[in-house]
Amino acid sequence: MVTPVTQKPDTQQGWRLLRVALSQQRGGLAIGVVVGLFWALGKVSVPQLTKMGIDRGIEGSGNLVFWSGLVVIAGVIAGLFTAMRRWYAFRESRWIETRLREQIFSHLLKLHVGYHDKMQTGQLMSRASSDLQQLQAFVVMIPITLSNLAMLIAVVALLIASQPMLAMFALAPLPIVNVMASRFSRQIHPAVLAVQQEQAQLATVVEESVSGVRVIKGFGAEQVQARKLKTEADDIWNVSLVAAKIRSKFLPALDLLPSIGLIAVLGIGGHRVINGQMTVGDLVKFNAYITMLIWPLRNLAMTVALAQRASVALVRVDEVLSTPSLVIDPLSPTSLPAASSDRAVGEVIFDETVFSYEGASPIINHLSFSIRPGQAVALVGATGSGKSTVVRLLNRFHDVQQGSIRLDGIDVRQLTLGDLRSAIGIVFEETFLFHDSVADNIAFSRPDAGPDVIERAARLAGAHDFIMELPEGYQTILGERGYSLSGGQRQRIAIARAIVSDPRVLVLDDATSAVDPSKEHEIREAMATVMKGRTTIVIAHRPGTIALADTVILLDEGRAVAIGTHEGLLAENERYRQVLAAWEVRESDGDDDIEVIR
Amino acid sequence: MWGMSAVSEEDRLDRVQTLQVLRRAYSMARSQRRLILSSLVFVLIGTLVTLAGPTLVRFAIDHGIKAKDGSALNQIVVLYVIVTIIGYFAGRLQYITINRAGEGFLRELRITVFDKLQKQSMSYFDREKAGVLVSRMTADIESMAELIQFGLLQFVSAFLLLCLATILLFVMSWQLSLVTMLVLPMLIIASIRFQRTSNHAYLDVREKVGNNLSTLQEGITGVRVIQAYGQEENRSERFRRSNRALFDSHMYSVRISTWYFGLVEFAGIAATGAIIGVGGWLVHRDSVTIGTVTAFVLLLANLFDPVQQLSQLYNTVQSSTAALHKLIGIIDAVPDVAEVSQPTELPSRGAIVVDKVTFGYAGSDRPALNEVSISVADGERLALVGPTGAGKSTLAKLMARLYDPSAVDGVTGSVSFGGVDLRLSSMSDLRRRIIVVPQEGFCFGGTIRENIRIARPDATDAEVEQALESIGALDRFVEFAEGLETEVRERGSRLSAGERQLIALARAALVDPAVLVLDEATSNLDPGTEAVVEHALETLMTGRTVVVVAHRLTTVRRADRIGVIDHGSLVELGSHDELVTLGGRYAALADAWQRSQPK
Repeated sequence: MVTPVTQKPDTQQGWRLLRVALSQQRGGLAIGVVVGLFWALGKVSVPQLTKMGIDRGIEGSGNLVFWSGLVVIAGVIAGLFTAMRRWYAFRESRWIETRLREQIFSHLLKLHVGYHDKMQTGQLMSRASSDLQQLQAFVVMIPITLSNLAMLIAVVALLIASQPMLAMFALAPLPIVNVMASRFSRQIHPAVLAVQQEQAQLATVVEESVSGVRVIKGFGAEQVQARKLKTEADDIWNVSLVAAKIRSKFLPALDLLPSIGLIAVLGIGGHRVINGQMTVGDLVKFNAYITMLIWPLRNLAMTVALAQRASVALVRVDEVLSTPSLVIDPLSPTSLPAASSDRAVGEVIFDETVFSYEGASPIINHLSFSIRPGQAVALVGATGSGKSTVVRLLNRFHDVQQGSIRLDGIDVRQLTLGDLRSAIGIVFEETFLFHDSVADNIAFSRPDAGPDVIERAARLAGAHDFIMELPEGYQTILGERGYSLSGGQRQRIAIARAIVSDPRVLVLDDATSAVDPSKEHEIREAMATVMKGRTTIVIAHRPGTIALADTVILLDEGRAVAIGTHEGLLAENERYRQVLAAWEVRESDGDDDIEVIR
Repeated sequence: MWGMSAVSEEDRLDRVQTLQVLRRAYSMARSQRRLILSSLVFVLIGTLVTLAGPTLVRFAIDHGIKAKDGSALNQIVVLYVIVTIIGYFAGRLQYITINRAGEGFLRELRITVFDKLQKQSMSYFDREKAGVLVSRMTADIESMAELIQFGLLQFVSAFLLLCLATILLFVMSWQLSLVTMLVLPMLIIASIRFQRTSNHAYLDVREKVGNNLSTLQEGITGVRVIQAYGQEENRSERFRRSNRALFDSHMYSVRISTWYFGLVEFAGIAATGAIIGVGGWLVHRDSVTIGTVTAFVLLLANLFDPVQQLSQLYNTVQSSTAALHKLIGIIDAVPDVAEVSQPTELPSRGAIVVDKVTFGYAGSDRPALNEVSISVADGERLALVGPTGAGKSTLAKLMARLYDPSAVDGVTGSVSFGGVDLRLSSMSDLRRRIIVVPQEGFCFGGTIRENIRIARPDATDAEVEQALESIGALDRFVEFAEGLETEVRERGSRLSAGERQLIALARAALVDPAVLVLDEATSNLDPGTEAVVEHALETLMTGRTVVVVAHRLTTVRRADRIGVIDHGSLVELGSHDELVTLGGRYAALADAWQRSQPK
């Protein structure tokens, strides 16, 4: 999931965010840097000690065991701090990633539904996954790069101090390593992205060929798809070789450059040893130091590239985190009046409400109606008449632009979202099941509900029998990765879910459309029990479902155009007859083999 | 990071399988052989160059510096320069040849696997999960691409380097070699242990990443339900748990690598110390030269780095062979609806005769169809009705040879068209006579025109337009800003459900078949489009033999005969009036339909 960078966003903002994120972890990062300094100390001492060992222990008459012992001790220090540096670098970077991901998640859950309507799931997912990985890849480099820098400076100082002239020649090619490495990562990055894009295109062809296999087999169109795939395979081949060419241009050269330094050491240094201006130990020392600097220099270039990518990723993350929710709790909320013997609750009033989705003409246009406590109302209308929007306004997925919606006399915007939404139970047209047990899915609104409450709800929704037939009954895991249920079964779970929440107002948004007609009457009976004494809004087009309600409101172009009983409207209202006829009932029984095969 | 690949226990191949896969890979890479050989040569040259450096330094010290011979030193330096330049060019050629060979291999692999996949019959696609098939073609092949881009070269050269460096060390001084041999086995053991534990750790990370992504996705896609029931806090808490589990898993894998990398660092430096100690002692006894000691110190890196690389690449190589093994499985699968070598030509028109056909889906013990016989006359319109899972769609698909009848006790029923058994005709001939129009108007990426042309790739632009015109749908698409060249986007998301169905019908019109097998759409269309689709369908059916899996009373009423399928058998057959008079299953169904209609 790589998001190609198309435009240069304001990276200033990205850096600011990075500073904030990093400053929250100063402690851990500081330890990482200190550890890194010890690591550099250990590393830098090794070639120096090796030189001393050769010059004093081997060539001279010093104590051989002493010097080689010191090298081993330096090894212990370097080994220990290599481990610790790695540990701290990864811990801090993973921690930043982890915490930001939680922030994004909980922020997304609080953002208004209008935002989610606009955004694609994949985009939001990559904010919380690949973008944060870019950040992590950079943060991990911070302690490592800082200690590398310390080592680099120490080595350069040491070499210049001991043999200034030789140091100049030996170190001269190394800055080119740095320049070349950063040029390499600038060139290879788009090439790698291009490969990934081509791979994604091939994946699309494969994916549509597999899911569209009925069409392909039906028309014998295998060759058409094979040609498409060949084109994509050729494209991958092409861009991969472009990437390979870039690698072949830079990587061997990056290996070559330090060798030039090594040859200079041998050539120039060798003569100096012959002339007695330096020792064999110095020669080995120079060799070892130059080898030691190659990776830090290459890393340095990489870190710069990583930092740029991280700041771009952070800007995208910030776009999510800095978006405020447009639907929020009021500053001083009112609470709903409690039900009592002299006051039934669940009165819903729409008063001259107007609403339009962003950039569209109003879908709700001066809509007014009122529903008495305990009344059951069916909303009927053609596609686009605004039926489902009514529900979304009632529970404040969106706020009305004009007029007001009142629940038991209180404007819904005066209530906390928690109070409002626990007073309204919606069964959506499409049932969303979580990767949880059946019981947890039913008890979704009340995670503390006992098994008796859950079972009662399941029985009322006509779900108990099929649940008992599932492999593990109420403990069967559902969801995308779990046991899959038929459309009708899913809807019954959703109805049970609404029953558990025990709302003042129950909304069935086309909720029985996927239920097998032969089972529908069972659910209708169950619903009648649940609806008793509870305000219910049913969005429907099947006469059988409409019959659940005692009153029908006919919606057309965002207005209530007629209110009456089903029979009354059928007899008198031409538009009502038209709408129902358009929803010509297709008592479909589904694709007959689907359950057998999949 | 190529070190992050891991292979699960169930995917891991044993030695015999690995050898088989490698042998197979070698024979599949036949066309790349020359490139592979030359890349091996370049790898070998590169390895020799790497080892030449320390060796040359040794000569320079012993014969130039210590002997105080300036010209010998100069000669060695010149040699060093030449060797380095050779190394540079060998390096460049290595990258190019190995990538050309590898990418060429993958390109052929992609094409071959896809071709094989497409030759499989419908029952294969019923059996295999779509996601798995897609990941074979993507994730599995990409894991091999990763190996080729980053790992294969290093794997070969690390192996060569380790072997050659060991030999070189022994040639230079067996005593000092023994010192390195004290450290090396420790490093190898540690590397093997690291490779094993890190494999587990990476698998765990991968699983936790997957879980975390699913939880994330669940939260985003389920946000409406979550908000409707006020469960934001609760869900965030659950996400926190899976997110923290991922963090812990990451840290566990870091902990493993932490001690390992520390140990490697220590071992390298400690070995240097030991060589100076022992080497110095040997120099004092004149057993080795100072140049040899120096060469040993410089060569140590060439001994230790390959061990590390090999241990990290081992997982990558294993997961790639596992991936290749699965792909070979696809290549070797034999399609069960196969073509005969000498096909019989189908007549242009004729009756469809289904004779005692039994059919069972793989993995289901109950046959979907049980000795069904039915014939559909030329030009007749037959509607199939029945409850869910009764077998009506299966029967329709058999009539178009998406499946072949199953054998029962050695006897197989048959489906024929115009007297010719469908199994004796060629697929291309068959697909011109009998067309299945699936209920969902499936669209492929590309333009509207391309989507229609999929039915007959050689059709001209005019023919595509004519097909649309013939079902009265041309105007609707021409109105689009880009007309028939409009990109339909992924899965045709740019189009309405009705428009997608029109495209499906236009495809059939383009082929102009004798027989149409229709699986009626069940989704609701808006009334305007509904009428257009209805009209298109009616035009398309006129003058053809039609078998329709019906879900609507109106469709059934328009059929000449109705077949009622239940539990895999044809239980009733006749016209609407006949069956209503009969008062059986159909009569009850028709009655139920009638009642659910708005009055």
